[in-house]
Amino acid sequence: MATLSPTPLPHPSLWRADEAAIPCPPGVPTGHAALDTELPGGGWPPGEMTELLTDCSGHGELSLLLPLLVRSSQNEGWIAWVAPPHIPGIPALASAGLRTPRLLIVRASTTGERAWALRQALRSDACTAVVGWLDHVDTALLRRLQLAVRETTMPLLLFRSAHSAHTASPAALRLQLSAGAPGVLRLDILKRWGRPASRPLHLSLEDSLSPSSGFPVRQQMAGARIGAPPAQALIA
Amino acid sequence: MLWLALFFPDWPLQALFRSQKHEAPLAVAARQRLVALDAAALAQGVRPGQGLADALAVAPALLVRTQSTEAEHAALRDAAGCALRYTPQVVLEADGLLLEIAGSARLFGGTEQLLCRLRTDLASAGFHALTACAPTPRAARWLALASPGQCVDDVEDLRATLAALPLRVMEASERIKALLADSGLRSVGEVMRLPRNGLAQRDASEVRRLIDQALGRQPDPRPYFKAPRYFDSRLELPAPRHDADVLLFVANRLLNACCSRLSAAHAGIEHCLLLLEHEHHPATPLALTLGTPSRDARRMILLVREHLARIVLPEAVSAIRLQATDWISLTGRSDDLFGPQTPSPDRRREACSTLLEQLRARLGRDAVYTMSARADHRPECAQRACEPGAAETGYSSGKRPLWLLSPPQLLKLVNGCPWYDGPVQLISGPERIESGWWDSDGSTDPCGKEALRDYFVAVGRNHARLWIYRDHAPPHRWYLHGLFA
Repeated sequence: MATLSPTPLPHPSLWRADEAAIPCPPGVPTGHAALDTELPGGGWPPGEMTELLTDCSGHGELSLLLPLLVRSSQNEGWIAWVAPPHIPGIPALASAGLRTPRLLIVRASTTGERAWALRQALRSDACTAVVGWLDHVDTALLRRLQLAVRETTMPLLLFRSAHSAHTASPAALRLQLSAGAPGVLRLDILKRWGRPASRPLHLSLEDSLSPSSGFPVRQQMAGARIGAPPAQALIA
Repeated sequence: MLWLALFFPDWPLQALFRSQKHEAPLAVAARQRLVALDAAALAQGVRPGQGLADALAVAPALLVRTQSTEAEHAALRDAAGCALRYTPQVVLEADGLLLEIAGSARLFGGTEQLLCRLRTDLASAGFHALTACAPTPRAARWLALASPGQCVDDVEDLRATLAALPLRVMEASERIKALLADSGLRSVGEVMRLPRNGLAQRDASEVRRLIDQALGRQPDPRPYFKAPRYFDSRLELPAPRHDADVLLFVANRLLNACCSRLSAAHAGIEHCLLLLEHEHHPATPLALTLGTPSRDARRMILLVREHLARIVLPEAVSAIRLQATDWISLTGRSDDLFGPQTPSPDRRREACSTLLEQLRARLGRDAVYTMSARADHRPECAQRACEPGAAETGYSSGKRPLWLLSPPQLLKLVNGCPWYDGPVQLISGPERIESGWWDSDGSTDPCGKEALRDYFVAVGRNHARLWIYRDHAPPHRWYLHGLFA
C-alpha cells in the first residue's frame, strides 16, 4: 500500500493516483490474503497472462500457486504443466489436497514447442489451469500466447527467468520472486493494472511447506520430528 | 412422397477434379475427345467435343484427364454418403442422386433448410449440384436437368410444369429422340398430347411410359443405395504436390465425406489410415488415432495438420487415400444448454482426449503423461509416469518436496559438511528410509535399487529449502533429492 501522508489535497479537482478507479474484472483468488489485497481484482487476472520471474528454487515459488491448483483440480479437466524443470513430487502435491491424476505433464524441448503446447492447452476446453516454464521467448510469441489466453477465463501462469525482468512483456501481471527471510517468499510486483506497487511483499509460505496443512499425514519419521527450529544444526 | 433430385453438372469433371483447389483450365477426355470442360477452359476457347490435339493447341495450359467410370462411381458413392445424412432413401443415377425427403424435411426445418445444409455438406466434400423437388422421382430429375431450383409439391401441378420442359430431358433412346425431333416436336408437352396408339405404332411407347411415370400414373420403383460399413476412398491430385496446405485440403475433402457417412450410420471411428501415394515410392502411411470414437472432421484435420508438419515426404504426393474400416456405433448428443462457456462433463472429457492426441501427434507419445502414485517408501519409486486416465491418486507420506530431482544430485563435501552453492544446514531429520532390498542391483528399472538412506530437510544458500540424504553405504555420500519449492 502506498503510504502518502493523509493531508487533504488543496484543490478539489486534484485526484490522488491511488483513488483512481481501475476497471478490471474480479480475479481468481490466489489463496494468500496478503497477495490478494495487492492484486487488482483481488487475485490472478483471469483471461490474462501472469509472469512469475524467478531464478531460485526452494523458496516456495510453486507453493504460491498451490491454492489455485488445488481448487482447479476439484473440477474435471487437465491441470497442464508445460515443460516443468524437475519432476513434480506427487506425494507432496497430494498432501496439499491436489488431485494428482488430473495433472498433465507435457515435455517439450524448444521454446516454440512449449509455446505451441501452451496455446493448444488454452484453446481446448480441456484445461482448468495452465502453468508453463518458458525461457528465451520473444515478444511475438508472448503476444500470441496472450491472444490465446484472452479467449479463456482462466489465468495463464508463466515461469520465466529473472533476467527477463528488464525486457518488456504484454503480461498483465509480473511478479518477481526471490528469497526473503527463512521460510518467506519475497514478491516484487513489477507490473500490474492500475498504479504501480511501491513495496515488496513478504509471503510466509511456512504453512504450505509444512505437512500439517491438507490431509492428515502418516508420520514415518525415524529420527527427529519435522518443524524443529531452523537455527538448530543436526549434522549426523 | 417428395423427391429431391440432385444433378451434378459436368459430372466427369467434378468426379475427377474434386481435389482441385485453384482455378485452372480443366478438361476430361474420352477417346481423344473432350467430354467435359470447366469455365476457365471455355473462356480460353476450348469447346466440348473438340479433339484433344486441337484443344491443347488452343489452350496449352489445359489440364486433361481421361474419363474414368470407376472414379465416377466412387465419387457418386461419396456424394450419396453425404446425402444419407438427410434421408435413408437415396437412389444413385448416372450423374446425380434422387432423395426421398417427405419424411425428413420437417426434421431439418423444411425443404429449404435441408437443401441449404445438404449443399454445404456436398460443397465441403467437393461437389456442386443443381436441385429440384417433385412428387415423382422422374419429374424431379427432369426439373433438375432443365429448370433447376423448382419445387413442385402437388401432383396436379406436375402436368403444366413438365409440359414446358424441352425434349432433351427425357431418358428415351437416341432413335426415339431423333424420331420425335424430326416430327417437329420440341417440348415434353407436345409429346404428351400425342395419341397413345400412334406412338405405339411407331415403336415409341417407351416415351409414353416415361411420361406416365413422371406424372405418377405408373409405378416407378427405384433401388435404394445401401452404404457399406467401411470407408475407402481415393482422391488423385491434378499434379503431384509437396505443400502441406494442398494435401490438407484434399485430406479435408476425404475426411468430410467419411464423416458424413459415419454420421448417417450413427457411427464413429477411433482410428483411420491416410495413405499418401507417390509415383515412384511406396505410399507414406499416416495413422490417425483419436482416443475416443468420433465423427468430427475438424478434429481429424487438426491431427493431420500436426502429422504433416512432422513427417518428411520422400517425394511429391500424387494421390491420397483414406481407409476407415472399424466403425463403432456412436449415438448423437444434445448441445449444451449454457453453451461452450460451461461445457458438460461429456464435452469436457472429449476435449481432454482431443488435447492429448493433439499434443502427442506433435511432441511424441512419451512427452505427454500423468504421474501415478505407488506404494513404495523409496521417493523415486513412489511415483511413476503413466498413461493419462490410468493414474492413481497420491497420498502423503511424511514431509515431501514439491520438486524431485532425477537422478539425485551428488553434493560435494567442504570441511566434512555437504555443500550446495554454499554451506548446507540441516534443520530437521533424519528420516530413515530402508527399502527395496528385494530389488537386485542388476535390475534395469531405474528405481530398482535398494535404498539405505537418512533424509534431512536442510537450508542452503539464500534460505533455499532442500531435501538431502546421506547414503548408508560407504563412502557415505550426500545427495540432493528434492526442493521445497
